[in-house]
Formats: sequence, C-alpha cells, structure tokens
Amino acid sequence: MTDFIYNYLHAYLFVALFMLFCGIAGVVYRRTLIGMLVSLELIMNGAGLNLVALNRFVSPENASGTAFTLIIMGIAAAEAAVALGIIILIFRKYRHVEGGDLREMRD
Amino acid sequence: MSIGELIFLATIGLTLGGAVMAVLSGSIVYAMMGLVAAMFGVAGLYIYLHNPFLAMMQILIYVGAVTVLIAFAVMLVGPLYRRPKEWTTLGKLGAALGVACVSLLMFVRFVTETFPTAGAPSFQMTTKDIGRLFFDDLVLPFELISLLIVVAILGAIMLALFARGDK
Repeated sequence: MTDFIYNYLHAYLFVALFMLFCGIAGVVYRRTLIGMLVSLELIMNGAGLNLVALNRFVSPENASGTAFTLIIMGIAAAEAAVALGIIILIFRKYRHVEGGDLREMRD
Repeated sequence: MSIGELIFLATIGLTLGGAVMAVLSGSIVYAMMGLVAAMFGVAGLYIYLHNPFLAMMQILIYVGAVTVLIAFAVMLVGPLYRRPKEWTTLGKLGAALGVACVSLLMFVRFVTETFPTAGAPSFQMTTKDIGRLFFDDLVLPFELISLLIVVAILGAIMLALFARGDK
C-alpha cells in the first residue's frame, strides 16, 4: 500500500527544491522587475509545498504546516499588490522596468 | 504502475516544466503562463498530500489573484520592446556558477539526508482541523495577516494616488 510513489516524501521535496532553484536562477537571470516577481512567486510556491509535505509525512497530528502555507499565501498576495504598485510607479518615472538601471539610491 | 502514479508523474512534469518555462522563456507573457502551469501542478500535489482545501486556495489565490496582478503589471507597464541589456559572457558565467554551486550544495545535503518514507495512512486534512487551529492557537497571526493585507491595499492605492498627483 505504501509502495506508491506519491507516498514518499522525497518526490515532493525534490519538486520543492527544483522550484527553489528555478526561482533563485530566475531572480539572478531576469533583468526586468516583473520577471523577478514571477521568480519570487515560484520560490514561495516551493516553500509552501515543502511545508505541506513535511506536515503530512513528519507530523500528521496537527495542521501547522497547512496553516503556515495559508499564511504564506496571504503574504504573497499582499507582496504582489505592493510590488505591482511600485513597478507601475517606476515605469511612470523612468519609462522602463529594468532592475539594473535603478541606481538612484546607490550613493 | 497504477493510474494514480501516472497522474502523479504528469503533475510533477507539469510543475517542473512550468517552473523551467517561467525562468527561461524569452517573453514575459510566456513566463507568466509557465508560472500558472507550475501553480496548477502544485495544486495537484496538494491533492495528493490529502489536502484539498489548500489545493483550492492555491488555485483561488495564486492562479486567480496573483497571476492576474502580474498580468495587470505586464499590461500597464506597456510595451517592453526596449530589449533589456544582454548579459555579458563573464556575468553569465559568474551567475551560472554561483547558482550552480548553491544548488549543488543544497542537492548534496538533500540526498544525504534520510527522510521518513510513509506517513500515517489515514491522514486527511479537513477544513475543520484547519479552522480549529486558526481560531484556537493562531488567532494573532490570522488577524495580523488581515491587517497586512489591508495595509498592502492601502499602500498600493496611496502609491497610485501620489504618482498621479505628482504628474
């Protein structure tokens, strides 16, 4: 009964790890702020999957991982709203959304 | 191999393919579509983890709200035809090396760790459990999340208003 591949923790953790790698690579690789935002959402999704998988396999007696994932979802929604406002503001001011060219606060 | 395993492997493939597409595709709209695919795949994995409520929330919040926000950002930011500066070869090499090193370290740590193989067979996360937890133990984080979302909405509105007044 427990021989099915979806009853192993490794499968879920591997997917979450891969999403984390993709997210890190995307934040480094993308030049526009929207691409970075997409990669950031990928990282948050991987974190949520990790927590739920550990909740199901390691401590199935309570729902802490599930609750934490729901909180992560709320934070991701709020973060996306604020990031959208900031991106539109940057576009109005500079007419582009490239992260590397925003060096006004550097010095 | 049973049909459940086949669907599970297809879901994993959808997730991984979506993640790769979200990072590597040239157009930002295709990247967004890859993100949607990855989120649907994660929702399917939540169902395999006996957590259907979270799968529904995943589709509702991530696919329904966050992706629409990103789509609005893509539309409002206007034509992205001004191509971003290309990577120099040295920068590309350095970035790839850095990400690869971090990934390799984490992957080695992941492989050398021993995990418990099978969980409790009768595990089922119902909305009753989640609601009990939220309203018994996690009342303060729950309220703080609602406060955070209100502040975020007000902040976004203020950003838009001040930008218009500035102009």
